Amino acid sequence: MPLRRRDNLLNWLVVGPFAIVLAFPFYWMLQTSLKSELDLYNTENVPFSFGEGSPTLDNYRFLFSDTQYAQWLLNTVLVGLAVVAITLVVSMPAGYALARLSGRWGQSLGVGLFLVYLVPPTLLFLPLSRVIAEVGLQDRLASLILVYPGFTIPFATWLLMGFFKSIPRELEEAALVDGASRLRALIRIVFPISLPGILTVVIFTFSLCVNEFVYAIAFITRSDSKVVSTGIYTELIRGDVFYWGALMAATLIPSIPLALLYNTFLDRFIAGFTGGAFR
Amino acid sequence: MADDSRHTDRPEEEVPGGRTTRREILRKAGAGSLLVVYGGATAKTSAAAVPQFRGRQLKETLRIVQWSHFVPAYDKWFDNVYVKRWGQANDTEVLVDHINVTDIPARAAAEVAAQSGHDLFFFLSPPAAYEDQVIDHKDIVQQVSKKRGKMKDLAHKATYNPRTKKYFAFSDNYVPDPANYRTDLWGEIGLKPTSWDIVLKAAPKLRAMGNPIGIGMSNELDSNMAMMAMMMCFGSFIQNKDQRVVLNSKETVAVLKFARELYRQGMSNEIFAWTPASNNQAFLAGRLSLAMNAISITRSAELLNPELAAKIELLPIPKGPRGQLGLEHVMGAYVIWKFAKNKRMAKKFLVDLETKYIGAFENSKFYNFPSWPASVSNIKRRLERDPAKPAGKYTILGEIADKHTLNPGWPGYSNAAIDEIFNTFLIPQMFAEVAQDKRTPEDAARAYDRKFREIFQKWRNQKKL
Repeated sequence: MPLRRRDNLLNWLVVGPFAIVLAFPFYWMLQTSLKSELDLYNTENVPFSFGEGSPTLDNYRFLFSDTQYAQWLLNTVLVGLAVVAITLVVSMPAGYALARLSGRWGQSLGVGLFLVYLVPPTLLFLPLSRVIAEVGLQDRLASLILVYPGFTIPFATWLLMGFFKSIPRELEEAALVDGASRLRALIRIVFPISLPGILTVVIFTFSLCVNEFVYAIAFITRSDSKVVSTGIYTELIRGDVFYWGALMAATLIPSIPLALLYNTFLDRFIAGFTGGAFR
Repeated sequence: MADDSRHTDRPEEEVPGGRTTRREILRKAGAGSLLVVYGGATAKTSAAAVPQFRGRQLKETLRIVQWSHFVPAYDKWFDNVYVKRWGQANDTEVLVDHINVTDIPARAAAEVAAQSGHDLFFFLSPPAAYEDQVIDHKDIVQQVSKKRGKMKDLAHKATYNPRTKKYFAFSDNYVPDPANYRTDLWGEIGLKPTSWDIVLKAAPKLRAMGNPIGIGMSNELDSNMAMMAMMMCFGSFIQNKDQRVVLNSKETVAVLKFARELYRQGMSNEIFAWTPASNNQAFLAGRLSLAMNAISITRSAELLNPELAAKIELLPIPKGPRGQLGLEHVMGAYVIWKFAKNKRMAKKFLVDLETKYIGAFENSKFYNFPSWPASVSNIKRRLERDPAKPAGKYTILGEIADKHTLNPGWPGYSNAAIDEIFNTFLIPQMFAEVAQDKRTPEDAARAYDRKFREIFQKWRNQKKL
């Protein structure tokens, strides 16, 4: 067997099972979302075939006509974009400062910052409830936009700090010698080079916002103010009755653009997590 | 260095056909996000600005939070019909929020921490632990009692603290907890689950047919209720009527041995990972032969699989050596926080809701039974008239409600210690440990008795017992 074909085969043998395992939840979501309620409980048709009344788009129709799903999606996007913007505005200069300007304290501060990210929301939601009430943001999307940067900024700063460290100082020094201010060097030289890291922060921050649950459930109860993670959980699980078809449809829909986003920027995402393009 | 410079100064990638580049997408997305931050962050929601009653400014506001009822029609009736009519009649804008049953504790804790939240907060079990945070609901109870007579004893015992003489909640409803069984499967073996002995006798045969018994032993509501009710049928109680722990008894040992046998002979290890949905799902999939559950199993089956629904019947809890002592499946309990902004209208809302409970009873499809029986006239006839097959299927609920439904902690009150034991799922844990041979029944009874005494002492120290 030629060497290249053998390598290809080996790659497929390694990657194939991983791909199947990782793709299976998406397949499961898709198939369940296309099943009728009656068919869903027919164990003979699980997981590979359709039975009576399936495939059907009823679960999708139910989602958009009988719930406020479209509003929850919009709310999720609003919160995600706002938090991404705030996170970038704060963590980019913070990460740079920690990487370049803080001397030997930079590393310790960076680790300290990362430790803040590890404090679980289950500990913080009670005291933060008080804060949210005091500032009058209960049941407003702004409560999430205020709180989420509390865990996205530490992680983003820590990630960008590592990335900025991998950029040679000589680049900035050359710009400074040419008469640029530090801010100008930062904006014109450092940030453009750091695009993989910044993209990583954008995607990761947005994903964290979409996945977050504890704060969203504690701060918002109005149906029209909910985000996807809490909206589908509260409206599609009624006591001990689960609307599995609609639940799967509701989780599949936001996961598709996220998956596309990850795939589109996959190379830069990997570069961002592995410390930059200069290694 | 040269390569790096080339990399950084790389011009925008030209894409054939004039397509947008990645950078352009990001730039536009960035601009869009700024717009969103500016425009979206400060707005409560777009819908919040829409007046509920066009052309008329309502004088007051009342905010309610309650669970997403398992019957969607109940929420539609409550939110869109009852509440709107009541609001117009009382010049009040009523805002109803819904949360998942499992999130009630977290949301309540958040509101208490913030000392801010809804005017009416709905629990699904008696929330005695929050006694200091709520008003005394005595005058609401008195007003309803004046119009509708005596409150059910189980509702009184679930919401009243005899030590502090305070009603720490107002119960509008409770939910009977029947045994749901498949008539076709039980018919094949010529038995009917009227006693726990018969259930044990039938269990191996049913499991051999592929249809085991499904009674959970995990950290969830259904397991809690089923195990606590089974204990009572064997004469095993957490406390006596004087609120003293009496768990360590020969009756507790007997019921633990019984449950272990039932698991070994007629159940599967799925019961240790049981969730609130497990009874329903396994029944709808045609797998279970018996479950202890409210009527959501049969009501769901009527919608999804009428043929299967016709084979499901309801019975009171099976009889044990000490009788048929069942529990409510859930108990609706509203509280008015001390920090609620509109206590006056909250009280009026509860009085009005309870005194005319027919709408709630009918729209919940007989799930919500009124805590004041006189609030719904002719309950028996209404149950008999239900069109579900077999005819008269739900009539038995009246008997179950009257004779076989007690409060958690019976023969005592549903006090704060019972609340803690309930919410930390210690009872199903005790059963699971014995069923899995992690402890002997005697050892488990002793160990959990000690735990319970500590919990009771803690609340006694706080002068709540």
